[in-house]
Amino acid sequence: MSWLRNPWGRPRWLAVVTVLYILWSVLPVVLAIVFAFNKGRSRTTWQGFSFRWFTGSTGSVFHDPALQGALKHTLLLAVVCVAIATPLGVSLALGLQRWRGRGSGTVNTLMLLPLVTPEIVMGVALLLLFLRVFPEIGLGTTAQVIGQVTFTLSYVVVIVRGRLTSIGPEYEEAAADLGAPPRDQLGRVLLPLLAPAIVAAAAVAFAVSIDDFVVTQYLSSDASTTTVSMLLYATARGAPTPALNAIATVALVITLATLSLAFLVYKRFAGGKEAATLAALEV
Amino acid sequence: MQGEIRLEELTKSFDGVVAVDGIDLRMPPGEFFTMLGPSGCGKTTTLRMIAGFERPTSGRIMLDGSDVARVPPHKRSVNTVFQSYALFPHLDVAGNVAFGLKYLKLTKEERTRRVGEALELVNLGGFARRKASQLSGGQQQRVALARALVLRPRVLLLDEPLGALDARLRKNLQVELKALQAELGITFVFVTHDQEEALTMSDRIAVMNEGSVEQAGAPREVYEEPRTLFVADFLGVSNLLAAEAVGADGDACSVRVGERTFRARQGSTEARGDVKVMIRPERIAIEPYATSGDNRLPGMVERSVFLGGSHEVHVRVLGGELLKATVANDGKPPAVALEGGEAVSLYLPPDGLRVLAAGEPRRDDGPAERTP
Repeated sequence: MSWLRNPWGRPRWLAVVTVLYILWSVLPVVLAIVFAFNKGRSRTTWQGFSFRWFTGSTGSVFHDPALQGALKHTLLLAVVCVAIATPLGVSLALGLQRWRGRGSGTVNTLMLLPLVTPEIVMGVALLLLFLRVFPEIGLGTTAQVIGQVTFTLSYVVVIVRGRLTSIGPEYEEAAADLGAPPRDQLGRVLLPLLAPAIVAAAAVAFAVSIDDFVVTQYLSSDASTTTVSMLLYATARGAPTPALNAIATVALVITLATLSLAFLVYKRFAGGKEAATLAALEV
Repeated sequence: MQGEIRLEELTKSFDGVVAVDGIDLRMPPGEFFTMLGPSGCGKTTTLRMIAGFERPTSGRIMLDGSDVARVPPHKRSVNTVFQSYALFPHLDVAGNVAFGLKYLKLTKEERTRRVGEALELVNLGGFARRKASQLSGGQQQRVALARALVLRPRVLLLDEPLGALDARLRKNLQVELKALQAELGITFVFVTHDQEEALTMSDRIAVMNEGSVEQAGAPREVYEEPRTLFVADFLGVSNLLAAEAVGADGDACSVRVGERTFRARQGSTEARGDVKVMIRPERIAIEPYATSGDNRLPGMVERSVFLGGSHEVHVRVLGGELLKATVANDGKPPAVALEGGEAVSLYLPPDGLRVLAAGEPRRDDGPAERTP
């Protein structure tokens, strides 16, 4: 460890640790993806390359009704969740930003609560809520959407507020000064300036929704409300085929693509420093 | 003529802290009016109240005779050039300038024409399609100016608009801004902490301190005839001496500084008791040691600072005070040697000596802070 004594020395040892860690964390994912392309039924022995678990006529992602149903339901939940959580989160962020004085600090902290609450606690709580307090809603798709919106909302608020704070009140004042009524201050100035943050927030909400397991699982009712993550969990210990790897790969690709898009949009319009904050949030 | 602003007992406090303390000011139509003061003196808060961004705690803002204190900013016929310009980053230069025209009910042709004229006015004719981020600081400042002027406001408010620019550009823009104001005849209300800028550009200056107006008047008046210690000290360089006014001497006032008596003909000559006397460095004459006559004071040169156009000579006088005297650099060797350690005599002419009643300003240690 000569770099400890020699400040000009290159810290090779640190580089080795970093590379090893990255390899270790990526390895299982890579293995799972590799076996999605296995020719045989094994998920541990390589038997040649093929697309049969994606497009084959039996048992593949595109032909097995259970896998397909799970994929469709996952995407449905994600789209509806984003459609609700994004506008709601943006409104909340705008409201909180303007709310000065008594109580605003408490509410700010409360907004972060869903991000730090253990998900299992939230899942159980929501389950009881829908069974006992709102039995007319019950379990199923509606409950799953409400559950997911509850915590994806926090991500939207945090991301949009971050951008709002860095924009500051000045552009709104300039718009007002030039004759724009409050509606136009929002529509002609603030929303265009917030656009990258809103896109990023929607993408993060989308990815979080797709990845979610605990809350979605607790609030599901029957096979029709099974998502990809639930399916993976249920069958991984039963009689799995590489089709499971294939559907996991599809989910992973969708998530990664969405997050990359969000990162690029945000970086393009809001500058690198904030994008780094966003990247940290996504992890 | 339109564009008169009168502030009447205008007060603003933030959570009980008074920022603007019941000021009364008249800003005549078509004039270049400057609010000058150190940071935290309330000048920007006052400007923001005129713009409508802050609601006064009490008092009136009369714009051409009607009180606009409760009118929201988008309905006021005043426009602002912000310190940071606040150009909309998602619009190009033309988009920024055209922003407010939407609310004036103009035809499309008229709008295009006005944008073109405004950009020509600030010499940015070819820049219509640039983004704000592609412009230099000086150009951004011009766009901000065009964006406000295109609406033909009755009053233009400028919040330290030259603060972010380098010294040379500042000087040029000071002259340009003043010329523009004279050409357009619009009332400009300008906020700055830079006393030189204020003196250069303004028709009228209000010197502010701790939420109050210390003195308002023409630049020459506030410089030559400061009424308070604060004004004397904040504008230009002043020599201030503690003194005792002992009585009248013709039209002048006799003041005792230490062991010596001086005649002072300016300021509160009727005051008696503890006072301050003030004299500008350019009014002090440096004479050979032991020159006889009234209003003279022996001293020793501590150092001489070369300023290009002049020397600033620091003289330690009998009694321990340090006085600054300016000697113009006229190319000839000075009559009196100005090297450190030289004994000299200072002549403080009665016409240059101003009596300031002490204790009248709320502080006796001068301005607490002054941003450069």
